[in-house]
Amino acid sequence: MKKRLMAMLLCVAMTAAMVVGCGGSGGSSDSGDGDAKEESSEGGAASDLNVGVFYYTYSDTYIASVRTALDGKLEEKGITYQDYDANNNQTTQNEQIDTAIQTGANLLIVNIVTSGSVDASTQIIDKAKAADIPVIFFNRAVEDDDTEGQVLGSYEKCAFVGTDAPEAGHMQGAMIGDYLVENYDKVDLNKDGKISYAMFMGQLGNAEAIYRTQYAVEDANAKLKENEKPELVFFDESNTDKYQVDQDGAWSAAAANNYMTTNLSQYNEGNNNMIELIICNNDGMAEGAIAALNDKGYNLGEGKTIPVFGVDATDAAKQLIGDGKMVGTIKQDADGMADCIAALTQNAADGKGLMDGTDSYNKSDKVANKIYIPYGTYTGEE
Amino acid sequence: MKAIANLKTRYANYQALDSKDKTTYWKESLLNNAMYLIIIVAVIYTAVHNPKFLTVSSIVNIISLSAANIPIAVGIAGTIVLTGTDLSAGRVVGLTACISASLLQATTYATKIFPNLPVMPIPLVILIVLAVGAVVGLVNGFFVAHFKLHPFIVTLATQLIVYGILLMYIMLNGNNGQPLSGLDQSFKDFVTGHIVKIGSVPIPNYVWFAVVVIIFMWFVWNKTSFGKNMFAVGSNPEAANVSGVNVAKTTILVHTLAGAMYGITGFIESARIGSNQAGTGLNYECDAIAACVIGGVSFVGGTGKISGVVMGVFVLRIIFVALNFLSINMNMQYVIKGLIILFACAIDMRKYLVRK
Repeated sequence: MKKRLMAMLLCVAMTAAMVVGCGGSGGSSDSGDGDAKEESSEGGAASDLNVGVFYYTYSDTYIASVRTALDGKLEEKGITYQDYDANNNQTTQNEQIDTAIQTGANLLIVNIVTSGSVDASTQIIDKAKAADIPVIFFNRAVEDDDTEGQVLGSYEKCAFVGTDAPEAGHMQGAMIGDYLVENYDKVDLNKDGKISYAMFMGQLGNAEAIYRTQYAVEDANAKLKENEKPELVFFDESNTDKYQVDQDGAWSAAAANNYMTTNLSQYNEGNNNMIELIICNNDGMAEGAIAALNDKGYNLGEGKTIPVFGVDATDAAKQLIGDGKMVGTIKQDADGMADCIAALTQNAADGKGLMDGTDSYNKSDKVANKIYIPYGTYTGEE
Repeated sequence: MKAIANLKTRYANYQALDSKDKTTYWKESLLNNAMYLIIIVAVIYTAVHNPKFLTVSSIVNIISLSAANIPIAVGIAGTIVLTGTDLSAGRVVGLTACISASLLQATTYATKIFPNLPVMPIPLVILIVLAVGAVVGLVNGFFVAHFKLHPFIVTLATQLIVYGILLMYIMLNGNNGQPLSGLDQSFKDFVTGHIVKIGSVPIPNYVWFAVVVIIFMWFVWNKTSFGKNMFAVGSNPEAANVSGVNVAKTTILVHTLAGAMYGITGFIESARIGSNQAGTGLNYECDAIAACVIGGVSFVGGTGKISGVVMGVFVLRIIFVALNFLSINMNMQYVIKGLIILFACAIDMRKYLVRK
C-alpha cells in the first residue's frame, strides 16, 4: 500500500516536473499547439475576428519562419488567432478545422497537408461554406495546373497565397546553367567534357519535389545547349530514375548524407569519376551532402569545391554560401508571404472583400484570387 | 580450447544421427541461417555486378554507416528482450542531436542559437546528452514498471512529449526552427575526424565509439547480474520475481540505459549530418527495431545477443548500399526491405513454433 502510494506520488511529481519543464523552455518561444493568444492592444479595432491558422507541420524549417512572421503580424494587428499543427496528416487537419469552427473561428488560414489535391481542398472549402466563413490557403498548392480554378473558383470567400511550384525548379535550373556556363572547365574535374551530377529529391509524389527535380536539370541543360556545351549526365549511368530520394519523404539532411557518402565510396577522383555537381531539392539535403563532402576533404571553404545548389535560403545555407562551401539557393520569401496573408486577414477584419487592395501582387493569369509570392535566387549578395 | 571441444561433441552428435535425421539437421541449419546465406549471396551478386562494392572505401563506408546506428539499436534491443519496444528512440535522437549541436556551435557562426555561449567542453556535452536520453528512458521505464503499461503505449506518449520539447527547443532565441548548423571544428574532428587510415581511406572516429558501445553492452548483457536479470524478466517476469529479481528496477534500468544509448546516437548524428532540425531522428527507431529483429532479438522476449543486433544493423546497411550500387529503382527498394524484415521475423518465429 505504502509502496503504491510512493509510486503514485513520484509519478505525479514527474509529470508535474515535465509540464513545468515544458512551460519553461517554451516560455520565450511561440505558442504551441492549441494555446490561443489574445492581444488586448490599444488599437482595439481588432473586431470580433477569431482566426484559426492551420500548419501542415511545425517541423518544416520554412513553414516555421512563416509561422513566426505571421504570429508577429497578427499580434501587431491585435487579431485573436490560434495555431494548429497537423503533423503532416490531412485527417488531423480536417478534425482541427472542424473543432476550430465549432469553437467560433470565423476565418481559416490553411496550409494544406495534401499538396495539389482537389479532393482535400474541396473538403475544406465545403466546411468553410457550411459555416459561411472566409478561408485563405497558403504555401502548399490546393489544385494542380490541370484543375486550376476548380477549387479557388468555387467559393468567393477564398484566396490562395503561395508560390508557383515549378518556379523554384526553373530558377534553380537557370542559376545552375548560368554558373556552369561561366565555370565549365573548372567544374569538369576529369576533363571528359561532360559534367556528372547528383540529384537529391525530398519526397516521392510531392508536386514541388517533382517540379524541382525535373526543371533544375532541364533548364540547366537548356542554358548549356544555348552555349553549345554538352548536357549534364547523371553520375550513375545505370540509375534510370536520375535521382536519389529520401525514403522517409522527410527531405532530410541525413538521407542526402547517407547517399552521398555511399556515392563517394564508389565515385571519386581516385576512380576518375567524381561527382562534379550536386543539386538538392532543399537546403537541408544540401547541408547533408556538404557534410559528406567535408569528410573527404571537399568544400571546406578553400581548396577543392564541388558546386552544391539548394532551395529555401535557410540561415545555415546562407552561411555556407558566405563561406564558399555552397554556390546558391532559391529564396522563399517567408516575410513576404506572411505580410500578404496578414493583409488579407485585415481585409476580413474590416469587413472588406478578401482580395481588396491586392493589385500590386503577382497573380495567376487564370484565377483572380491566387497570389504568387515570387521566389528569388540567392548566391551570397542580398 | 573449449570451443574446439564443443565442435568435437557437436560433430560426434552429428555422426550419431541416422541418415533421415541428418537431412533434417541440414534442412534446419539451412533455414535457421537463411538470413546470413541470403546476405552472402546478395553481397556476391552485387560484387559481381559492380566490383567497386568490395573496395576498401566501400567497405569502410558500410562500416561507418552502420556505426552511427549501433548505439540506438543495442539500446532498443534491451527493451525488446523485455518483450517491449521503444517508439521514442528516434525523437530522443533528434532532441539530443539538437542539444549537442546547440552547445557546440562555433562562436563565429552568425545565427548561433545561444550567441553568448562559448563552445562547451565535449565531455560535458556527452554527459548532458547521456543524461537527457537517460531521463526520457527513466520516465518510460517508470511507467512501464509501476503501472504495468505496455511500452508501446508509454513510448508512444513520451515520443510525442519529446517531439514537442524538441520543437520548442529549436524555436528558442529567435532561431525560428532554422536548422542548427555551423558546428565547431573541434566537435566535427572529434566525431568525424580520423586517427586510423586503411590505405588512403580514413576510418571516422565514431566507428570507435560504436566499438566501445558494443563492448560495453556485451559486458552488461553477458557478465553482469543486471544482464542476467534482464533476460530472466524478459522470458518470464513472474518466475523472475519469485526467484528474487527486482523486476521493476530491472525494467527501469533497461529503459534508462536504452535512453542513454539514443543520446550517443544523437551526439554522433549531430556532427555526422551537420544539420539538425525538428525532423532529425524521424523513424530511426524503425530501422533500429528492424535491425534487432533481423539479428534474432525476438519479440517473444528473453532472447537475443549483442552480436546479433550488430549483424542486424550491418545487414540493413549492406542492403541499403547494395541496392544503391545496383541502382535499383526506389519503389523496389521499399519492397525488398519489407520482404527482408518479414522473412527474418518468420524464420525467427519458426524456431519457437517448432519447439511447441
